[in-house]
Amino acid sequence: MSKKDTFPFLEIHRALPREVPVPIRVLDYKEIHGDFANGDAGDQAARCIDCGNPYCSWGCPLHNRIPQWLKLVRDGRIEDAATLMHETNPLPEICGRICPQDRLCEGDCTLETGFDAVTIGAIERWTTDEALRRGWRPKLNAQPTGKRVAVVGAGPAGLAVADGLAHAGVQAEVFDRYEEIGGLLTFGIPPFKLDKAIVRTRREVLEGMGVRFRLNTEIGRDVAFSTLIKEYDAVFVGTGAYTFVDGKLPNQEAPGVLPALPFLIANARRAGAQVPRRPWTAESGRRILGLSQAANALPDIVGKRVVVLGGGDTAMDCVRTAIRMDADSVTCVYRRDEANMPGSRREVKYARDEGVQFLFNRQPLEIVTDANGVRGVRVVETALVNDGSGRAKPQVIAGSEQVLDADVVILAFGFRASPPDWCEEFGIARDASGKLIVGANGSLPLQTSHPKVFAGGDAVRGADLVVRAVYDGREAAKSILQKLGVARALFA
Amino acid sequence: MTQRKNFGLYDASFEHDSCGFGLIANVDGRASDWLVDQAFRALAKMSHRGGINADGVTGDGCGILLYRPDAWLRALAREAGIEVGPLFAAGLMFLERDAASAVTQRSVLERCLREEGLQPRGWRDVPVNESACGPLGAATRPCIAQVFVDAGDGADEAAFERALFRARRRARTQRVAAGDDIFYPVSLSAATIVYKAMAAPGRLREVFPDLQRADLAACAATFHQRFSTNTLPNWRLAQPFRLLAHNGEINTIRANRTWVESRASKWKSPLVDLSDLGPLVSTAGSDSQSLDNMLEVLLAGGIDLLAAMRILIPPAWSAQDNLDEDLAAFHEYYALHTEPWDGPAGLVMCDARYAACSLDRNGLRPARWARSDDGHLIVASEAGLWDVADQRIVAKGQLGPGEMLAVDLHEHALLDATAIDRINAGRAPFKRWLRDGVAYLESHLIDPGLAAEPFAPELLARYQKQFALTREERDIVLKALAEDEAEATGSMGDDTPIAVMSRQSRPLYEYFRQAFAQVTNPPIDPLRERLVMSLVTQIGQEGNVFDLSPENARQLMLTSPVLSQRKLRQVLALDEYVHRQRKFDLYFDERTGLKSALEQLCRRVEEAVRDGVVLVLLSDRYSSPGLLPIHALLATGAVHAHLLRLNLRSDCNLLVETGTMRDAHHCACLIGFGATAVYPYLAYQTLFDMNRRGELKGRAGEAPSEIGRSYRRGIRKGLLKILSKMGISSIAGYRGAGLFEILGLHHEVVELCFPGTPSRIGGATFADIENEYRAQLAAARDPHYALPAGGLMKALPDGEFHMYNPAVVGALQAAVRTGDMALYRQYADAVNSRAPAALRDLLALQPQTASLDVDEVEAPSAILKRFDSAGMSLGALSPEAHEALAIAMNRLGARSNSGEGGEDPARYGTERMSKIKQVASGRFGVTPTYLVNAEVLQIKIAQGAKPGEGGQLPGHKVNALIARLRYAKPGIGLISPPPHHDIYSIEDLAQLIFDLREVNPTALISVKLVAHAGVGTIAAGVVKAGADLITISGHDGGTGASPWSSIKYAGVPWELGLAETHQTLLRNGLRERVILQTDGGLKTGLDVVKAALLGADSFGFGTAPMVALGCKYLRICHLNSCATGIATQNDILRRKHFLGAPEMVENFFRFVAADVRGILASLGAKSLAEIVGRTGLLRQMEGVTDKQRELDLSPLLAASALVPNAAGCGSAPQTHTELAARIAADTAESVANGKSGCFHYAITNIDRAIGARLAGAISRRHGADGMAHAPLTLQFRGSAGQSFGAWNAAGMQLILHGEANDGVGKGMAGGRIVVRPSEHARFASQDTAIVGNTCLYGATGGEFFAAGRAGERFGVRNSGALAVIEGVGDHGCEYMTGGTVVVLGVSGLNFGAGMTGGFAYVLDLERQFVDRYNHELVDIHRISLEGMENHLQHLRALLRSHVDHTASAWGARLLADFRDVLHKFWLVKPKAASLDALTDELRRAA
Repeated sequence: MSKKDTFPFLEIHRALPREVPVPIRVLDYKEIHGDFANGDAGDQAARCIDCGNPYCSWGCPLHNRIPQWLKLVRDGRIEDAATLMHETNPLPEICGRICPQDRLCEGDCTLETGFDAVTIGAIERWTTDEALRRGWRPKLNAQPTGKRVAVVGAGPAGLAVADGLAHAGVQAEVFDRYEEIGGLLTFGIPPFKLDKAIVRTRREVLEGMGVRFRLNTEIGRDVAFSTLIKEYDAVFVGTGAYTFVDGKLPNQEAPGVLPALPFLIANARRAGAQVPRRPWTAESGRRILGLSQAANALPDIVGKRVVVLGGGDTAMDCVRTAIRMDADSVTCVYRRDEANMPGSRREVKYARDEGVQFLFNRQPLEIVTDANGVRGVRVVETALVNDGSGRAKPQVIAGSEQVLDADVVILAFGFRASPPDWCEEFGIARDASGKLIVGANGSLPLQTSHPKVFAGGDAVRGADLVVRAVYDGREAAKSILQKLGVARALFA
Repeated sequence: MTQRKNFGLYDASFEHDSCGFGLIANVDGRASDWLVDQAFRALAKMSHRGGINADGVTGDGCGILLYRPDAWLRALAREAGIEVGPLFAAGLMFLERDAASAVTQRSVLERCLREEGLQPRGWRDVPVNESACGPLGAATRPCIAQVFVDAGDGADEAAFERALFRARRRARTQRVAAGDDIFYPVSLSAATIVYKAMAAPGRLREVFPDLQRADLAACAATFHQRFSTNTLPNWRLAQPFRLLAHNGEINTIRANRTWVESRASKWKSPLVDLSDLGPLVSTAGSDSQSLDNMLEVLLAGGIDLLAAMRILIPPAWSAQDNLDEDLAAFHEYYALHTEPWDGPAGLVMCDARYAACSLDRNGLRPARWARSDDGHLIVASEAGLWDVADQRIVAKGQLGPGEMLAVDLHEHALLDATAIDRINAGRAPFKRWLRDGVAYLESHLIDPGLAAEPFAPELLARYQKQFALTREERDIVLKALAEDEAEATGSMGDDTPIAVMSRQSRPLYEYFRQAFAQVTNPPIDPLRERLVMSLVTQIGQEGNVFDLSPENARQLMLTSPVLSQRKLRQVLALDEYVHRQRKFDLYFDERTGLKSALEQLCRRVEEAVRDGVVLVLLSDRYSSPGLLPIHALLATGAVHAHLLRLNLRSDCNLLVETGTMRDAHHCACLIGFGATAVYPYLAYQTLFDMNRRGELKGRAGEAPSEIGRSYRRGIRKGLLKILSKMGISSIAGYRGAGLFEILGLHHEVVELCFPGTPSRIGGATFADIENEYRAQLAAARDPHYALPAGGLMKALPDGEFHMYNPAVVGALQAAVRTGDMALYRQYADAVNSRAPAALRDLLALQPQTASLDVDEVEAPSAILKRFDSAGMSLGALSPEAHEALAIAMNRLGARSNSGEGGEDPARYGTERMSKIKQVASGRFGVTPTYLVNAEVLQIKIAQGAKPGEGGQLPGHKVNALIARLRYAKPGIGLISPPPHHDIYSIEDLAQLIFDLREVNPTALISVKLVAHAGVGTIAAGVVKAGADLITISGHDGGTGASPWSSIKYAGVPWELGLAETHQTLLRNGLRERVILQTDGGLKTGLDVVKAALLGADSFGFGTAPMVALGCKYLRICHLNSCATGIATQNDILRRKHFLGAPEMVENFFRFVAADVRGILASLGAKSLAEIVGRTGLLRQMEGVTDKQRELDLSPLLAASALVPNAAGCGSAPQTHTELAARIAADTAESVANGKSGCFHYAITNIDRAIGARLAGAISRRHGADGMAHAPLTLQFRGSAGQSFGAWNAAGMQLILHGEANDGVGKGMAGGRIVVRPSEHARFASQDTAIVGNTCLYGATGGEFFAAGRAGERFGVRNSGALAVIEGVGDHGCEYMTGGTVVVLGVSGLNFGAGMTGGFAYVLDLERQFVDRYNHELVDIHRISLEGMENHLQHLRALLRSHVDHTASAWGARLLADFRDVLHKFWLVKPKAASLDALTDELRRAA
């Protein structure tokens, strides 16, 4: 890469790795982006102008050292770049794939105005994949401390905690009720966004660092929480947000109406060709998801008309999954306009490319059923009103009701934290919506009201971005280490 | 130097002075009243070189030294009833005006005289006419008495002088010890007597009736006129002193004073006992006074004047390859035991034997001489001072850099520089002594690859963490040093908190700000004028300077003070020192405490040195578990100060082995506080590691093999730059001088470790520093702790706080784009409520009256008038951004600043015009048209981001537009010199102000300074020099490109500089004469109000309006790739990506004005004027960190007074030249009607800047083309004053018969200037100086012919003028970018340094030129008969024009012999320009 040229951002255009053409990619669940060729990643990295105010780093919840590792990638120092990425982020290849970069680092990139942002996410992904492929692994300097910490939940927050602890010589044991690590990374996010092999590789990396995973093990059922409290020096709770937001639509119990998560999880299992250790049953579905409708999970939707209600990233996952399940038509219904969608614009684009219809400014009123179940969704048009209190509010336009035909309706209104039952017993405080309270007066960041128990991720925040869960995990590890008196700071 | 606590920020020790001087002597020793009379007349003709005090009458002081006016003295004694013997001395004493005290003072002197075996014969009161002094002078006048003393029986004169010297010194020392600061012996000698007074130079004789007597005759006299930044009159500091008078500034004064004292005990002369005289040189008072003291000591000890002067102020001998070896050995021998007194210096002196004149190595002060046929010699700052007819002058000349000229008053001989050098070289076999005694270590043979003794990775990591190395420092600072052999470059300003305000732990070095020269002394260009600089460092024990012996030459020489590992080992292994060295580990037990640890260290070193240890190695290389490190800088400073106090420092050398030093600033701190040499092992180890891991690139992109050497080169370059900022040329004059300002250390730290260095606001204590060590050490032991990212340069999320962080930038941009005041409020609240980061953040408003309704406050338009945009050049900015800024400021009724780089004439008279035009050191595009199209002319002395440094616009940024405006060629780089080459001292600044006022009488003249300790005093001098407006910039000012270390380590916050300036001006009654402006990171109305309360009338904004235009603080301005199209010349970026509009800037300023109004209302003030200087409305808040809580900002708030009528501004009293007025009247009609004409005038040296006023009038009336169509011819006869033909415009032909002083044709844009000797002249023109220094500086066009030689720096920054001259001094054609210069005679050294355009023909009859031109950027070619016909023709045509215009006999002879002399001409051209291209150009022009 030529170093003297100070204008690569003018000469080289932003280019994401090539997308697999739509007709081909909807045939399976593989990731839709190919890899950079080596030179291309370097060229793209060279577009970074290394600002005095690195807006990207500021925009990243993890404050990743983006310009610094872009420079290393530009110079072909892939392993060094991977090392630097891992300093702030234990899961860079995952964030590189699923972060809404257009709302975070790339959205804040100086070049975004007028030039198009540096392809930060794609470079992060490519670099970590490539480094791991070349055999690079995180380097551990610490001597074992003999301390042990239990981590409940192998989602992004839990993995990040485990990583931080391992670096400090603390034994992390990660419990998860599922048969594979990753939590929503594995079971919620469709494989075309995150290939499950990536998560498996990360599991190997973590195990190589000494992290132990105890899967298919549910705390409170297979192992008592009190055992953790007793046997470990600290406990981290990262149980996520699985309780779906109830839209309380009339007839939502009808056959053919599905909440998003069971739909995605079931599909992930199928599409990922994972063989469940325990057979998938209505019973287990109910247990996991806590919803009676789950019994009807994964109806055959080949040739059916699918309507997805909601405008977040989960909704996007549902519509794109439905397309791949050969639905006849897939429509996304959202009550605000496109500009006000919470989901990543990039995902909306992919969904459109893949044939999803969008209906904005429509608020669902009820599920229309007949004897066979769902027939459609009654919606009403809305107009956005800005009352100055924050986000624009949809207001119903009287007399604009209509019924959208549908054979399957997927509810993707969002999720709330699902705190385990044992919280109460151990005096772990929650707020009204069930989220665990951390960092209250006098306690360490991410420490719960039980001094030995820490928590983070969706269990604390409610449904939120993976990158914020990773942040919580990273910071929780620091707090735990501080609490254990192991080290001053890991990522100062 | 003592700190004046609780008295604000003014400190008398900051004062400077400068001036005019002269010497008249009769070589044959014939005394005459005519000679004395000439001395007074000459003095009177230099009034313009002096300063006038606040009363408008009192001068800064002047005086005269007379050599053996025996008859007159005897008559004075006789008339007073005093009998004197055959050998007697007379002297003047300043005494207490109270009679009783005066009696005591007299008796002390008498007693001391008797104790030396002398006989005081009597006193007489010297009559004084007070009314001639002016009110201030009269009020401060001491009683003046004259004493007569007889030598003891049989004493010879030399012994008599020594006894007088001892008596005088002892009497003064005793009186000072008794608290008497009035008693002052003006002089007391058998050979000379000095009369001096605080009076205007023309009135000195009136002050002293003694001097009006007819019997006053002498055969030699020196005289001096003073210009001081000091405005509190002090008769003592008038000159001449007892021996010398000095024009200039000793930049190394602090080192000189320090080292003289440290050696005092070693200096023993068999002739005189120096041990009981008190300090050998004064540590207060002026630098010149100390120099005089020093010279006296050397003379008393037995060294004669010719040697003593060359020892104190040597020429640049070390870099001159062709210097006579014996002479070089003389200089080198003495350099082993003394360091040069360095800085601009023109000196005249007179002792019992010689009257002499001497110049500093850089020739920074003018000294012109002339000799008449009756044996008289005059040397003075200017030519044309005496009344001798042309036909009686037999020779004239100018002293060159480092030259000396003397009259031997015993032997009646005139000694030129060569004769003096011969005498000195022959004093001893210096060459043999040095050959036998001096050892050298050759650095380049020693481990350049750093491969020796690498650290294991874990050890390296531990040390890196312990010494708080950051990745930023590693990857940017160290990397650039090793890869590029230069410091890393950055842009924008430093928007981080100063170290003491930071909430992070910052390296100790960051509490130190480098001192830099502004106005009173010029910085040096360390690149282009490298030849005057030296880093040579010696190791060994110093000897007795009076003891001329080979023993004194036993020394080890190092080429620089930065050691490599092997070099250190080699030094330590030398036989001579192997048993005379000791290592001191810089670690301590924390139970001891840091302060006690330092004190213990000092005592241990002291014991060692007393035991005979010569090499003291302070090392933090060997840590022990459980111990805390002592910072190497604390240790070095404390040990150095301790040894100095005990006079032991010269017995040893301090070697510092440290992990703390990484960059050149760190190195400068260590050496500046006393280290002899340093070994930065951690920097080497880190680089070695980086190289091993392939992180460094060599020149061809490969791994470099000589990183150690490259790193050292980079550090050396940086060190030279730091020295050059202070105008110091050798490291010996910098070592131990403590040339820093400390920002934020507690006085307990300063007193123990850095005594004497200004530190004005308190700060971190030993406990605070110790706590930071502890944290770092803990981090070092933590294996999980990675190197911190840094964040001082870039705003990293987990790094240091930045005041322009992304949130602030975003909020400001959102506000100005929408014009929504509510959004501005959010921005301003965010800025105002940040955690304290700037000093002003610790100052809160405290209203003292009820608030007003906003409507009662003055209108926003009145406030907007006080806002300027800071100078940013077109070149740094894109034309679009530059114009948007101008439009916005004009629409607001405020002013924008053109910056340094010219302005497109198409913008004149439109709303795109910059009302402030900047005049900076490069003088790019500074033409008379540019100057008349301005409301304010700003002389940029220094800029906040890099005070004391020059700049460079790389070729790739010079596009067609920039080239046109700067009179350059596209693609060719442009250099701005560090100093203004017409400002080497305060009276030079007065001259430039005068020049500018002449060309544009309606413009305000503004001077831009950078805040540092002493800026207030500089500002006082600037006011006295006639400025209307002064800008005090903070250290945080922005820049398009500057070395990082300059951005970070020079200058101080404007709060300090502004308050100091305001207080100093108030104290001196000068405040109402000037508008005071400040700039540096002003962001909100609150900033403006706080600045006003601290004393500002007006406010400059640089970065904020840029951000308003879309700047995102990318800090890549120096790369020309600014993605917002603001700081770039790239077409696409400018066209497609510049989204700024004037309205955004207007919004910003309107918001700020509204904000100011609101705050004024809350303070109960109706206008900004009401609160200027009202520091009572501010109070200091408690800080949020321990360090902040130790700060004491009360000195900033010391003076609370209302400034009367500040913004009105009347300028200083002007010496109006009557001649300029006559010319204006005579030519008015011709100019108005564009008619040609011819005019005749007589001219003298007091007629300055003649032509400038006319040039202004023509440019206003006729624009850039001037009156080329109808030329005006002005014939002059006589000696022209300075700046003859300045800003000459097209159509002006100035023909001068006679001679001219400095600055001829400065800024000439067109027309012609001819200077030729009078028809009666008897001298050969090619051997004779006809014009002075820095002629044609910044000329952009026109023609210049002179039949004679020019002084130093001819044609500097010429970008278009054609000149023919018969010889030039040193540094000819420096930084030239265009035009043609023909030199028909001898050229001095360093010709063509930094020359990137134009070309020159130089005649080289003596075959010296190859050694004299600067090889960096130019090459030279013989003009052959074949293939260079164009040049041949061109040169011949120029020669013919020269003869036609000047009637030069020399020119005619060359023309006649043209074919024979042709091959003795060199064509000098920039390497970047091909011979063919040049030829083509000539062909087209022909």
